[in-house]
Amino acid sequence: MKCLCCLLLAVAVSTVHARSESYSEELFVKPLATGFVYSFFQFTVVREGGSFSHSDLVPHSLGDIIDRFRVAELHIDLTSGLWRHKSWGYPAVDAPSGAEISARFHNDTQDVNKNWYGLTNALSGLLCTSLNFINSANSYESSADRFYRYSNLPRENVCTENLTPWKKLLPCDSTRGLSSLLNSGRVHNANYHSLGIHFRPLCNNTSKSSKYELRQTVSLVYDSVFISANNKNYDWSLRKMFGTGLFRTCPLADYSKIYIDTSANNSVPYVLSQNPDYFLKENIAVYNLNGIFHLSAVMPRPKVVVSDLKPILYTDRFITGFGQEYGGLVTRIYNEHRLPVIVTVIENIPWFLPIYYHTLRVTSNGVCVMPKALIYKPGKGRMQIYYLEIVLELPSHSITEISVQFDYVFLKWQEYPPDANHGFYIGSAIVKASIPRNSTSLTFDKSLIIDNLNSSDSSDSDYLIILKTENFIITLPTPDFSMPYNVICLACTVVALAFGPIHNITTKRLKLTTAKYVPGLASVVQKSYLWLENMVCYKNANKVGKATSVRVFTPEELSYHPTLGHVSEEFMKNQVACKES
Amino acid sequence: MGLLTDPSVGHGALTSIFVRHHNRFCILMYIASVILFCMLAHDSFSSQTYFSENALLPGLVKGQLNDNSGPSFKDHYKELKAEAQHYETETPHPYLISKFKHLRLETYSHNFTLNYPLKKNTVYTGRNVYGILRAPRSASIESIVLSVPYRSPSSIFPSTLPGLAVMFQIAQFFRQQMYWAKDIIFLVTEHEQLGMQAWLEAYHGTCCGSPGVLNSGKLSGRAGAIQAAINLEIHSEKIDHIDIKLSGLNGQLPNLDLVNLAHRLCNKESVRHTFNNVDGGAIGRNKVNTYYTNLSTMMSMVMTQATGVPDGNHGLFHRFGIEAITLEGYEKKGRGIYVSVLQVGRVIEGMFRSLNNLLERFHQSFFFYLLPSTDRYVSIGLYMPCLVLLVSALFLKAFSAWIQNSSHQKLSDSSSTQSTISEHMHVGVVSGIVLGSHVIGLILLPNFAPAYFTNFWNHIPTHRALLLGYTCVSVAIVCLLPILLKKCLNSMKVSNWVLLHVICLLELGIGLLCVAMHNFSLGYLTALVYVLPAVCTKSSQNRIIVKFLWILVHPICSLFWITAYITYITFPELSIIDYLTKVVESSGQWMALSTVDNMVYGNWAFSIGVLLLLPVWTAFWCLMFLPTNLPQKSKME
Repeated sequence: MKCLCCLLLAVAVSTVHARSESYSEELFVKPLATGFVYSFFQFTVVREGGSFSHSDLVPHSLGDIIDRFRVAELHIDLTSGLWRHKSWGYPAVDAPSGAEISARFHNDTQDVNKNWYGLTNALSGLLCTSLNFINSANSYESSADRFYRYSNLPRENVCTENLTPWKKLLPCDSTRGLSSLLNSGRVHNANYHSLGIHFRPLCNNTSKSSKYELRQTVSLVYDSVFISANNKNYDWSLRKMFGTGLFRTCPLADYSKIYIDTSANNSVPYVLSQNPDYFLKENIAVYNLNGIFHLSAVMPRPKVVVSDLKPILYTDRFITGFGQEYGGLVTRIYNEHRLPVIVTVIENIPWFLPIYYHTLRVTSNGVCVMPKALIYKPGKGRMQIYYLEIVLELPSHSITEISVQFDYVFLKWQEYPPDANHGFYIGSAIVKASIPRNSTSLTFDKSLIIDNLNSSDSSDSDYLIILKTENFIITLPTPDFSMPYNVICLACTVVALAFGPIHNITTKRLKLTTAKYVPGLASVVQKSYLWLENMVCYKNANKVGKATSVRVFTPEELSYHPTLGHVSEEFMKNQVACKES
Repeated sequence: MGLLTDPSVGHGALTSIFVRHHNRFCILMYIASVILFCMLAHDSFSSQTYFSENALLPGLVKGQLNDNSGPSFKDHYKELKAEAQHYETETPHPYLISKFKHLRLETYSHNFTLNYPLKKNTVYTGRNVYGILRAPRSASIESIVLSVPYRSPSSIFPSTLPGLAVMFQIAQFFRQQMYWAKDIIFLVTEHEQLGMQAWLEAYHGTCCGSPGVLNSGKLSGRAGAIQAAINLEIHSEKIDHIDIKLSGLNGQLPNLDLVNLAHRLCNKESVRHTFNNVDGGAIGRNKVNTYYTNLSTMMSMVMTQATGVPDGNHGLFHRFGIEAITLEGYEKKGRGIYVSVLQVGRVIEGMFRSLNNLLERFHQSFFFYLLPSTDRYVSIGLYMPCLVLLVSALFLKAFSAWIQNSSHQKLSDSSSTQSTISEHMHVGVVSGIVLGSHVIGLILLPNFAPAYFTNFWNHIPTHRALLLGYTCVSVAIVCLLPILLKKCLNSMKVSNWVLLHVICLLELGIGLLCVAMHNFSLGYLTALVYVLPAVCTKSSQNRIIVKFLWILVHPICSLFWITAYITYITFPELSIIDYLTKVVESSGQWMALSTVDNMVYGNWAFSIGVLLLLPVWTAFWCLMFLPTNLPQKSKME
């Protein structure tokens, strides 16, 4: 009876909670005209209610961390590869290569920094990343929001060890549903892969209770060269990409859907193996998943190669100069739009790359431009990054260039990373801009992809996109790390050589005595040479011109001077005379 | 510390030996230096090359490049030849761009313009094409370059079309591989080194020559820090041997590991490989023969390096800290076994896969070396003493001149009550001469004088105008200086001008050391020429033969002798009149080329001539004609 009661109670509790949490999984596939296939997984849990102490679908491990560190919003992206805007268009979530984390804390947080470091340390354990290396020297707070922190670790390598704990956070793990497609071997073979965890509060007009959304995302880009058979065409299929088809859906999910964006069909026509359940807005094929599912697309190799999908706004970032004398950092923003666009550029430059603020130049198509707003926080060695935030209006069809000069600094020898000659990673800059909705990729006004695709306010309003530029490496002056050994040897030699004279000077008293003359090697050689010369050139011996310019004194003529050593008696006399006079 | 400051130095027995016999010592050092230098080519001084960077792992994988997947080399080559014939003198840019796009590379082109510095309003334009293979999973932070200079059929240089076809073949193969960790840039340049320089300047956003000369334009696609570059010049489908060229701008050399890598992989693919067109190894040669071959190879390397002009497009990379070499494939003439293009392709594949393994930039192994053979090297520790011997002869001469003078003065002070004013150093005059000679050098820098000369003699060709201008200035210095000095400074007679002498010797010595730090070959060869007259010169009363010797080594005369020698080697059949005109003509061309090189690429050769050799020469020349007393004092003693 007791057991039954417990069971009933458990069922009752679970039903109560099930109502407050909903889970859905979606896959958005977009074959690109350039021969790449972009797939975006999104696993969404929406939850009502503030505390995470009891939950069915939100992972406890993450919920506890969120609760404990008073996190209001959290974004983590672990990325390998660089998103190529020119050939892939816009991603659903733009993430720079490496690890990136940003968080906003609740307004009543006492010590934001303490919570921030606590959060990053906890997450580094949860996701097996190096987020614990985040400190004040590589994170910054937003200029507008005191409770916002951001950091990126461009050197982070993303691998299976991150994917496995990431998958464990999903309600169905990787055993059922769309997540079963994520095999580490295939995921890490993609040209680009990015794991994301995005937690944010949702604005809720109808009810007063707080509503939260936790999205786990994966972005993958496959190259048809590697996934199509004998790379003669642009074919793709789920099995080619992920190594397996879909067998069972996740029973916990309210929605399980696959969307295929067929907009590339205009330039590269292709045939899908299954008819979609229905079309959304004419070019998005929707499949409801409820069992074994497989999908493939057959496309011929295009006659005309599309190599660029010109997005409206894209960036380019590089360093100028060579050697270690002068360096420059250039960020270029290309605006292909027919209207001017207002962008915010945030540069976070590490402390070991001190920039010269007076060299900051902003030019647009070669003409100097005044930024609309500019915030600069100079960095501090080993403490704080150089933070530069510029708001600009980009003219239509323009290339805007932001350049600043920097210095290469010497580091302490323990601050060099292993493989010091590999170089130092400099993280990406952030470019925020509002562009028309119809030229962006997926939008995230609402929780689910389908809602966002369906939303009616498309094309008439702007959408804020965030672009991340490329990372780069620089070579700081790197010592030869085999050098310490040489230095030790050299220093010891110098000390050993200097010790004798110093010891003599400090411990012995100098006394004036008449020295015994001991002929040295050189004078013996010289004498024998003179003797030989006399013997050989006997006839010319009386020649005047042969007289030496430097007089050589015989031992009897020499006396010992306390500081000058062996000197002639004449010299001594003169010295004495000088002193007396 | 007695160790560091011993005032008795300069009066010891050893010193007096050195001072008394400094001339003999100088000659001895000179001879020893030459002998030591010749000995370097011997096996006991050079050592076997080895890989210092373990990450390269050369030849660990089997070369997989083949003709089976996709269009073969022959298809690419046929297509390319047809296209090249169509554009007789230009580069087929549209074809190259579409070809790269078809190979599914990110394709860009790059425009540049050259404002020819010696003639106003002369502008040349060019365009490079490059494709970037983006490595999967990498964030484009590092890259490797494979470049081919495009030569149209009308070019005077041997064709590089087979090399370009190999590049297409390689790009096609590389595109299908998953294992790349670094991006690969396939670059086709135009106008030989000019295109390469423009591309590199644009890539790094800098300007290396004089500002405003080479407008290098902008690049819209980049691939991070370039780790290494390989330049391909393959002249034929049937290759006799691959020559590996290293010498870069201003004598810079690539890391020895990269050179070894090329040789090792050629060996692995059984491709005949040479350095300066000489086979390596001692197989089939006796000891004496090996030594002579090594010596001649080393000498040819020294000669190439000393010019400071890169012997291929790879040479321009070195300045940017990018290790680069050129693989030049010579045509197999006649019948017999030849090396196929695919074999060379597999060598390149192997090199790229090795470079792909690199975790760090090339930093191990040697950057300063001489190669007497493909598999032996002479390290800097062994060849530097040759130059040090020469330079120390100069220092010894300066030292003994100074000591001699000071001891003379002491003697004269003690023996007679003559006032010291007559033995004044004349610091003012000396510094005037030194300063003046350097100002002349500064004025003659390529940024100032050549433009003036070409403007002045507007109607004659540039190179003649330059030669005429510089010769006039030199002749004026040679003839007018002695007269001027005699007239103006007659009142300041002293027994010798030791201060000027010492300054000249020290400047020459230090200058030569500095030059040799960067370009040993240039430093050493210059030292061989200039140390001899410098050592023969005395502080006063120089004989006419020394003056004649100095005339012979005047920078312009030296240029003339070098051109005369090279012309004689290249055209031995010319009659004497033709020969002389040819020599004069090509001296002028050398000079023009050198100034242009200086202003476009930042080559120092001309600057060294004008800023170091000419001022030192002028100062020595002054020294010989400064008025002096008859040296009576030494006789009186």
